[in-house]
Amino acid sequence: MTSLWPRLEPLLPRVEKPARYIGCEDGARTDIYKPEATSWLLTYPDTYEIGLPNQGLQILYELLNERPDAFAERSYAPWTDLEAEMRRARLPLFSVDTHRPAAEFDIIAFNLSAELVYTNVLNCIDLAGLRVRASERDDSDPLVGAGGHCAYNPEPLADFVDFFVMGDGEEVISEITDIVGAWRETGKPSGSRDTVLHALARIDGVYVPSMYNVVYDGPKLVSVEPRHSDVPPIIQKRTVADLADWPYPRNQLVPLTEVVHDRLNVEVFRGCTRGCRFCQAGMITRPVRERPASQIREMVSKGLERTGYDEVSLTSLSTADFSDIEKVVSDTIDEPGTCGRVSIALPSLRVDAFTVGVAAQVSRARRTGLTFAPEAGSWRMRQIINKLITEDDLYGAVRSAYSQGWHRMKLYFLTGLPSEMDDDTLGIADLVQNCVEIGQQYTKKASVTVSLGGFVPKPHTPFQWFGQNEPEELQRKVDLLRSKVRHNKRIQLKWHSPGASTAEGITSRGDRRIGRAIEYVWRRGGVFQEWSEHFDLALWQEAMNASGLSLEWYVHRHREEDEVLPWDHIHAGLHKDFLWQDWQDALAGYGLEDCRWTPCYDCGACTEYGIEHVVASPAPPNGGSQGTGQDLATGHLVPVELRPRAGVGGT
Amino acid sequence: MRLRLRFSKIGKVRFVGHRDVARIIERGLRRCGVPVTYSEGFSPRVRLSFGLALPTCYESEAEYLDIPLDPESVVDGDVVCTGWREGTTNSIEQLRTALNEALPTGFEVVTLVIEPKVGPSLQESIISCTWRFDIRGGNLELVQRAIVAALESSTIEADRKKKNEILRENIRDGIYDLRADGTSELGPIVVAELSAKPRVIRPSELVEVLAPGTELGVARRTHQWIEREGARCEPLALNNSRTIKDLA
Repeated sequence: MTSLWPRLEPLLPRVEKPARYIGCEDGARTDIYKPEATSWLLTYPDTYEIGLPNQGLQILYELLNERPDAFAERSYAPWTDLEAEMRRARLPLFSVDTHRPAAEFDIIAFNLSAELVYTNVLNCIDLAGLRVRASERDDSDPLVGAGGHCAYNPEPLADFVDFFVMGDGEEVISEITDIVGAWRETGKPSGSRDTVLHALARIDGVYVPSMYNVVYDGPKLVSVEPRHSDVPPIIQKRTVADLADWPYPRNQLVPLTEVVHDRLNVEVFRGCTRGCRFCQAGMITRPVRERPASQIREMVSKGLERTGYDEVSLTSLSTADFSDIEKVVSDTIDEPGTCGRVSIALPSLRVDAFTVGVAAQVSRARRTGLTFAPEAGSWRMRQIINKLITEDDLYGAVRSAYSQGWHRMKLYFLTGLPSEMDDDTLGIADLVQNCVEIGQQYTKKASVTVSLGGFVPKPHTPFQWFGQNEPEELQRKVDLLRSKVRHNKRIQLKWHSPGASTAEGITSRGDRRIGRAIEYVWRRGGVFQEWSEHFDLALWQEAMNASGLSLEWYVHRHREEDEVLPWDHIHAGLHKDFLWQDWQDALAGYGLEDCRWTPCYDCGACTEYGIEHVVASPAPPNGGSQGTGQDLATGHLVPVELRPRAGVGGT
Repeated sequence: MRLRLRFSKIGKVRFVGHRDVARIIERGLRRCGVPVTYSEGFSPRVRLSFGLALPTCYESEAEYLDIPLDPESVVDGDVVCTGWREGTTNSIEQLRTALNEALPTGFEVVTLVIEPKVGPSLQESIISCTWRFDIRGGNLELVQRAIVAALESSTIEADRKKKNEILRENIRDGIYDLRADGTSELGPIVVAELSAKPRVIRPSELVEVLAPGTELGVARRTHQWIEREGARCEPLALNNSRTIKDLA
């Protein structure tokens, strides 16, 4: 085993935040090196601060390290200052656990949580000392794998990654380890790489792009078809049926330097069936699988005692929807070991489930930041995106919070949504102003931060057919809202760069040809594209032109019903005709109830895999089908139409 | 009452910054159920009072920390623990062992005492620090000559970065002791006692003076000095049974 530490150490005093590169976390394993074992380098292609808390990576890290015949270490993308030093010193990518070179591992596996990290994936492969194109790598080189939400459209990275994993990794990672372990035992002779990839392609949930041929007709995609009869034409995602079987991470990593979400994180459920039509996570992670409350209690108290954290986050896609959330929160605060000094963070709160009761429980401890996501400024728009919360729901939640002592909160909105008109965008200002006024009844300091994101349509959602707004149009809408709220000092408006949304659009719904643009951007130094100081839309535009690819085709045009989509061979359970119907319902303004509390309408997520919701409470937390009491079938009177592409004004 | 502890920070953890060290220790104290006190206000924090902040990338055998304790939690010189250790009482030595188990590898509590809260804060009392560091790429003979020249001179000019400007200052008066002490695998070793007041002088400032064009290797703070009844001494001397050499 080689340690690069002696060569890395002298470089660290020259770079920012050197503690990112030392490992040494509580929970890290430095004792697991076994020369005969199958080794994984779990790599997060963004900074340590962003990557360390990633729960998926930590779960796999523990599971692999529990196996006697495998072990896992971790790596993160070095910041540009260290990268420059590493390249000068010819120092390759390393693990932070034992500082072994990446190329000594059998598998380098990337977590793909966001599309803009794709150029970092290439950079990490290159820093590891490998050829970035999968087809050019040697037999004995590590296999490059990837998983995470973005893997559901693997095509943009298909030229660079050897295999992708779809869905929950808990079970499939073991099956991959077995196959790679057998390959390892053969000594990885010449010609064997194709054989092991072929074997991996036969595992449920694993996609090996090199085993598939892609056929185009001009710009159109015609088909993605397996090259062998024993390789599945459709890749099915993996889903763990019951979270109770997987109480991980048991030993959450405690970093020595501050990271995002720097607290104990306990996943309370996975999946969400609220059915927000823009939300990829809610579509691909179905069904809802709640962790038993008793197990949550145990993970919280053991975790706090082991780590010494005084803050715990109960994570999920919509935590207030957890059955009897109030009890879970109060039990956590009443845990004697914390002396009443634990704060609770509830990310992703639905306003219709955030009651005075929950607010009162949370505020018994130190108050954490509150974020609500109404997502759109008008009821019409919220029906279209199926975020079925009324203005009163929002005001109720805001009132609960201010009345329980909060002074400020953050509200998330999207702009550039299907059929959006300027009134919808401006409606955000009215909503927020009303929230501030409610706050002022309770505190002089009341303020609201508005975070406005440009909508990027995602694969496997009803909005996958929608043409994304151009950056100019997104900017116009941002400016529109800005001019409306500028005079109010209690409203702080922040917005996501429309240019970055465009680049995200390229990578989000691209096909295999988009790999050329990604490689072009990377070769010209375009790394850390999630970071505004490194992002440059012009570079992406140049890359598209140089690759003979059209932004209009990939990002801005509306897709046709019968069109082959680049991810059609990846199956998240959802039937394509269900998604298309939901898209049509969206345009007609019809809402769709949450199926965890109402009958099934066969989206496919459960029925395809013979699994079911695991939900303790038969009723939603705040009454009604979604707490709205609205007649969801009515829709709005005039069906909306999508703006023709050449049009100006609303979408 | 307060708990005063002396700890070391050696190895990879030298790259952890001062603020992060405070957070690490806070978590360690909570794990051990140390009956800490909290600040008032909207967002109460554990009260901690450190000696001079240790620059990132430097090692130390002499870090100090004062932790005000709830007076009722000290009974017959033992600490009555709270939180996760509610119901246990720890002797000083038990507490030291517990803290060392709770802190990451590289941090070690060397000694600790419970004492009445008197006198100025640690940070105000430190007058100087002794450092031991090597110079990567330096030449022992040249460094020795540079030391002699520096000590004979009345001015030693060194650059100091302050925000966006570089200040050139005479640091001669802040150098209390300066000598070469053999060679490490990286280069010549220098031992220096440098003032903490009116401003803190760092080993990195000396490297450019002693061996221009080279780089600081690993620097370790070996002592922080205070004045007590006219004599220079350490806030907490080491136990005789343990020498600092055991640490390395």
